[in-house]
Amino acid sequence: MSEANWRNPIFLWGAKGVVESLPTTPFRSHQEIWRSTRKSKTKLFSVGRLRYYYKWRGHGAITWRRLRYWPTRRRVLRVRGEYNPKNLRREKTIVDKRPIWWAFGFIALALGPLFTPIDLQNTLLTAGATFGIYAAISLCWMLIIGTAGIISLATYAAVGTAAFCTAILSIKFALPWWLLPPIGTVVGLLFGALIALPATRLDGFYYALLTLGLNELCRVYFSTSKIFGSATGGLYGADTYIPQNSSQFGQLLVGYYACSALMLLALLFYRLVDGRRLGRILRMAPEKREAFAEATGVNFRQARLVVFLISSAALGFIGGFYTSNFRGVAFSIFNFDTVLLGVGMLVIGGIGRAEGAVVGTLIVVFLDRVLITLGPIRLIIIGLIMLSVVLYLRDGLFGIKAQFRNWRDKKKSERRSTRAEKGGEMLPEEATETHDKDIVYMRRFDKMQRDYLKTLVSSEVIEEHRRSPQGQHSEALQRLLIYFRTRPQVDKYAIAIVELFKAYRIVALSGQRGVPPRVVEDRIYPTQKEAFHGVFLRRVQDLLES
Amino acid sequence: MDALFIISNAIVLASIYGTLAIGISITWSSLGLVNLAYGFVFAFAGYGAWLVAQHISQWGPVVLGAGIASGSLAGIIICALAFIPIHDKPNFTIRGLIATLAINLLGTQSLLWWFGPRSKSLPEIFGTWKITLPGMVLTADKVGNVATSVLMLFFVLRWMQASRRGLEIRAMMMNPHAASIVGIGVRRTAFYVMAITGGLAGLAAVLLSQTYYIGPYGGLTPMIKGVSIALCGGLGSVRGAVIAAILLGLNEALTSAFFGGQYVLITQFLFIIAILLVRPRGIAGILDRAREA
Amino acid sequence: MFQKEVLNVRGLSAGYGPMRVIHDLDLIVHSGERLGIVGLNGHGKSTLFSAIAGLTGWQRGSIKLNGIEIGRTRSQGPGRYTHQIVRAGLSLIPQGDEIFHGLTVEEHLDSGAYTQQAWRERAQRKERILEIFPPLKALLKIPVGRLSGGERRMVAIGRGLMADASLFFVDEPSLGLAPKIGKSVMDALMSLKLSASAMVIAEQNVSVLEGRVDRILGMHAGRLKGEAAASLAFHTSYQRI
Repeated sequence: MSEANWRNPIFLWGAKGVVESLPTTPFRSHQEIWRSTRKSKTKLFSVGRLRYYYKWRGHGAITWRRLRYWPTRRRVLRVRGEYNPKNLRREKTIVDKRPIWWAFGFIALALGPLFTPIDLQNTLLTAGATFGIYAAISLCWMLIIGTAGIISLATYAAVGTAAFCTAILSIKFALPWWLLPPIGTVVGLLFGALIALPATRLDGFYYALLTLGLNELCRVYFSTSKIFGSATGGLYGADTYIPQNSSQFGQLLVGYYACSALMLLALLFYRLVDGRRLGRILRMAPEKREAFAEATGVNFRQARLVVFLISSAALGFIGGFYTSNFRGVAFSIFNFDTVLLGVGMLVIGGIGRAEGAVVGTLIVVFLDRVLITLGPIRLIIIGLIMLSVVLYLRDGLFGIKAQFRNWRDKKKSERRSTRAEKGGEMLPEEATETHDKDIVYMRRFDKMQRDYLKTLVSSEVIEEHRRSPQGQHSEALQRLLIYFRTRPQVDKYAIAIVELFKAYRIVALSGQRGVPPRVVEDRIYPTQKEAFHGVFLRRVQDLLES
Repeated sequence: MDALFIISNAIVLASIYGTLAIGISITWSSLGLVNLAYGFVFAFAGYGAWLVAQHISQWGPVVLGAGIASGSLAGIIICALAFIPIHDKPNFTIRGLIATLAINLLGTQSLLWWFGPRSKSLPEIFGTWKITLPGMVLTADKVGNVATSVLMLFFVLRWMQASRRGLEIRAMMMNPHAASIVGIGVRRTAFYVMAITGGLAGLAAVLLSQTYYIGPYGGLTPMIKGVSIALCGGLGSVRGAVIAAILLGLNEALTSAFFGGQYVLITQFLFIIAILLVRPRGIAGILDRAREA
Repeated sequence: MFQKEVLNVRGLSAGYGPMRVIHDLDLIVHSGERLGIVGLNGHGKSTLFSAIAGLTGWQRGSIKLNGIEIGRTRSQGPGRYTHQIVRAGLSLIPQGDEIFHGLTVEEHLDSGAYTQQAWRERAQRKERILEIFPPLKALLKIPVGRLSGGERRMVAIGRGLMADASLFFVDEPSLGLAPKIGKSVMDALMSLKLSASAMVIAEQNVSVLEGRVDRILGMHAGRLKGEAAASLAFHTSYQRI
């Protein structure tokens, strides 16, 4: 530090023991600390916490001329209109872009067959048909697991049972294909009613293990009973809606579009159950907060059961459709592998979302049916994807955005709290909890003051105080003393007289009426001047430590 | 049909499946993880024993030991993949279940890819001697199976009672929070638990492969049977699993004697559902006598 | 007299999620010292113990146990490093009963001996603990789940004493106990010889600690307020709280 001298003005009056000039801390403006604290040092990104929306031109609030789903008054896209003062234009933003993505998906689905290469047409179209059926099954399963919260692994057992029953009825009694899905619905409903009884009594998780066993039960029963074709590996010969006399390409096309129609029906079904009353009731009663729902008078148990039963009926419908599409069923539908792949379809997309079911099914069916030349490796890939999704993603692929945002917020608040110092500025969590917001500003000001005063402390100043604790002081020392003297009384150092003019001791005031001060140290100071200096030294030490 | 023959069959099967069920119970109550990757552990242990039988030695105890060792190895792999990364994250029960299912898929397909789809067979472990008692003939493998599984179970349970690691495992089974206060680390104990239960499953695999062949999918039916027995007996209790194994073994024997083999599973599940309706926590719910805090 | 610092806590903040329970706390415990922390319920005494043991949601600040830094861990979830902290020399006897309800009393005491040496000497140490808590002698083979509250508390404290911990945290030893049994538990704790270790006892009731501990600190709203040597200004610390 550079040298600076302070000239004592009362030297001219000849006061006792006063020197003309003493070295002191050089001058630093107290406004420096204000400016440096107020300057923002944080690095700002152009895309930060603010959500970024693209602004389209046009008036966003023309409510009399919107695109609506006829005959309802429900809008297709939720659009919000604002006025931009910078370029003096009205702008609109699309708040929820998901209908657009769904529309793209449906268009791709509809126009898919036009763009398939000739040599892969067979594989792709059959894979597309399989995708449609399995997507429908995944959607109903997602209703059971996500909306109703009942973890059941017996879904493919329901589908398979309905398929086998309708197949055998169609073969024995020559029923037409359009009767098969309704019969399947009834079978599915019965199956669901049978297995719903343990579902109410068991914990969700134990029930999953039970349904695993039930799946195995169905497999063993069907594959060992002669009427269901144990000799041929399944049943074959049911009636189908695919016209048998058109070309193979025509047949594949009809099958593909019919299965896509089934998937659209399943999506509509999902929306009707999950988006309306039943789904809303069940969203009120998530896993750990059922007591709250019960206290509010919501009968969520009945809602769960109803969702379970109608989903089972829907699965039966799909089973009947399965038979009429493939003209029969094989036992492989009860395999453990099928269940595993089905679970993979649900998990990869994310549990609780319709788009999760569809995209998960797409990935799994693509890997399983289209890349069939890879052999068992394709299932290894599916297993790896499933494992990594379960280990790292909390909510499947569609939950990545929310998970990342959560993690980023957690890191930010951790970094913020590591920067918090003792007695310094309040953390935001503390600041929102205090009643008197003036304290927040007072602590911030106090911190700035202390930071500035720390720069003023030097050995010259301490020496100056030792020479004359009372009297005229340099600016640096004066600022320090004013600060010390104006602190609140709680835990403030004071001097207790043990014996007048002979012995003094430092104590700390308690700040409360009736409570005596506490002894800070055992040392006795022989003179008042030394006692003052002792108090000053302790206060400086506390300042430097804070 | 010879009733004693069926009953002896049932006892053999019950002891083997009971081993598996006890492993599942122990894993669940100490780690909170239901290990549905036993299909993979089974197949892995079977192939491990087969490899040893092919290349090293065909002597019974060596093959058995190889099966147990590879089962433990598979258990440790499953612990590292499905338990350690997510055991303190939210939703651990379901995620662990799905993770073990994924490992099952991954593992069985890898074994299928590596070893091919044809099944392999193991050499006779216990030789070909017979004991002839009045009324029935006990072949070597039956006696050996029952004896080995009971002996192994006895050792494992004894070890859990007497040794320090066993004490740690039992403490963690009862109160994981208190266990960490006493210096018992969850991860290290988890490896021990999974290694032991994997070894038990490996033993069951080698014993079962006397009757059935070793294939990538060979472990599925035993696993589902073991899970059902564990569920019926109460997922946390060893005694319940033993009792459930005996009851279900008797059930299986009686059903195949009177109704025929294809109705076995139906009666078994009716029985299990009946017990679970009365006691949603399994048979062990009846046996529980500890005083509530 | 130069005393080793068993525990040196500086600037400790801890909490659960967004809630901060302990604010910028400093604490130094010397070896051979018995420290009492007094405060009402909900003001952070148990959270202080949990924070040092790593069982809270998150904790910030420097915690040095026998000179080894055990704070400053990334918040990976509560309890992740607890067993390592325990093995570094901390013995936590928490509020309420953290017991294993199926294990017998003898097995409980065994489980407390987590170091190799303690395990080898466990028979002698069990003898020592049975001398401190005579009622346990008759109960050695009974599962702890069937014992009464006072007996469970004795088992928990005995378990904490089995290994050679350098720091004992005892959280409300007389909570929920009949006065006579509570008094016998406190007598046992106070009569324990601390040569190189230290003991911190958290209590609501100051009068139980009077005259028997070296220092009393008050805890209020997550901050340590005021300090009193047990012999001096005892009444002031009582009134302050």
